[in-house]
Amino acid sequence: MWEVVKSVLAAFFGVQKEQRRCEDFQHGRAAVFITVGLLMAMLLVVLVALVAVVAAR
Amino acid sequence: MRTLLVWLAGGLSLAGSIQVAMANGWNMPVGVTELSGNIHSLHMTIFWICVAIGVVVFGVMFYSLFRYRHAKGAKAANFHENIVVEVVWTAIPLLILIGMAVPATATLKQMYDASEADLDILVTGQQWRWRYDYLGEDVAFTSNLGTPRAQIRGEEAFGENYLLEVDEPLVVPVNRKVRFLFTSDDVIHSWWVPDLAVKQDSVPGFINENWVRIDEPGVYRGQCAELCGKDHAFMPIVVHAMEEEAFDTWLADRRAAASQEAQGIDREWAMDELMERGEQVYTAVCVSCHQEDGSGNPPAFPALAGNQALLDDRDRHIDTVVDGVSGAAMPAFRSTLNPVEIAAVITYERNAWGNDSGDSVQPSEIAERLSD
Repeated sequence: MWEVVKSVLAAFFGVQKEQRRCEDFQHGRAAVFITVGLLMAMLLVVLVALVAVVAAR
Repeated sequence: MRTLLVWLAGGLSLAGSIQVAMANGWNMPVGVTELSGNIHSLHMTIFWICVAIGVVVFGVMFYSLFRYRHAKGAKAANFHENIVVEVVWTAIPLLILIGMAVPATATLKQMYDASEADLDILVTGQQWRWRYDYLGEDVAFTSNLGTPRAQIRGEEAFGENYLLEVDEPLVVPVNRKVRFLFTSDDVIHSWWVPDLAVKQDSVPGFINENWVRIDEPGVYRGQCAELCGKDHAFMPIVVHAMEEEAFDTWLADRRAAASQEAQGIDREWAMDELMERGEQVYTAVCVSCHQEDGSGNPPAFPALAGNQALLDDRDRHIDTVVDGVSGAAMPAFRSTLNPVEIAAVITYERNAWGNDSGDSVQPSEIAERLSD
């Protein structure tokens, strides 16, 4: 699972090792990546909103 | 050595041209409010960050082009993927953007805080003039282009403030927080005064807000910044910032004048009086479409001189000025002009430029018409 999170984080950042990319495509299941990606996108929104609330104080 | 000289010359000419641009007023002005100063320093901070990025990026690019040129036998490296470089060139812009966002957010917060104002002014854009209502003060007036039409037609030399002068400037006090509420009667306009760092759209059906606290008394000029039709260039803004005491006196005088004019509604006005006042109103408000000689600009703006249909039907003339013409360019003046002004301008139109109806319209009649 931690490997999936790391891959999604790398995708958010926009940079990934070619070797890791191949591994993900061989072993991983698409649904898992999509679910984790959606959850982490929500997390990002919450994080940005929190920063905005703190900044607005 | 030669390379160093080239770099030095390049750097000096860049810095020099930036200095020239600023000295010639091509840069954003520092302005006359604390906030406009903050906006200016934010602008300069971001500008210098961009200059630094540009120098580094183009420096590396031109250096590489020159140092590893084909003529010197350079061979292109052929590789794919370099995690370290990719992470660095993604992380650095991210950090730069966050670094820019911090001061930008601080300034934006200040810009949007229009709370606890000492004075509220409703600014209404109209084709093609600005109307100012001092909310709760019983003072309201319309600010029209002050540049003589002869200058616009090129028959006279341009004045010092050509197209940047008005008949009645907006008057505000220094050292007090003034909140502006912006809206429009017709199309989208934009109220822009660079020295106050205010550029706010005025949109029909919406209220936008902005605020100023001016530090120095003075006259500050601006223009409509949203293309709004034929006379977009002819609706300038002049803000007169006064010392607080002088402003209070001005406001009291304006209030007294308004109530005096309101009293004038009930009395009978002589023809000469109506014609004189009517000409003032016509010159300020009607002239941009219907022209000085009443010839208009058909078909959009009909002629008033020699318009027999208008002269024959006095009631229709009153209706047209009070309520405007639906679906045409003629606006309703019921809220823009007071009954004295409406009566005077209709009387003027019915008896100027060879029109000889001989009849007059009394302010009391208009007041009654408006209360219907």
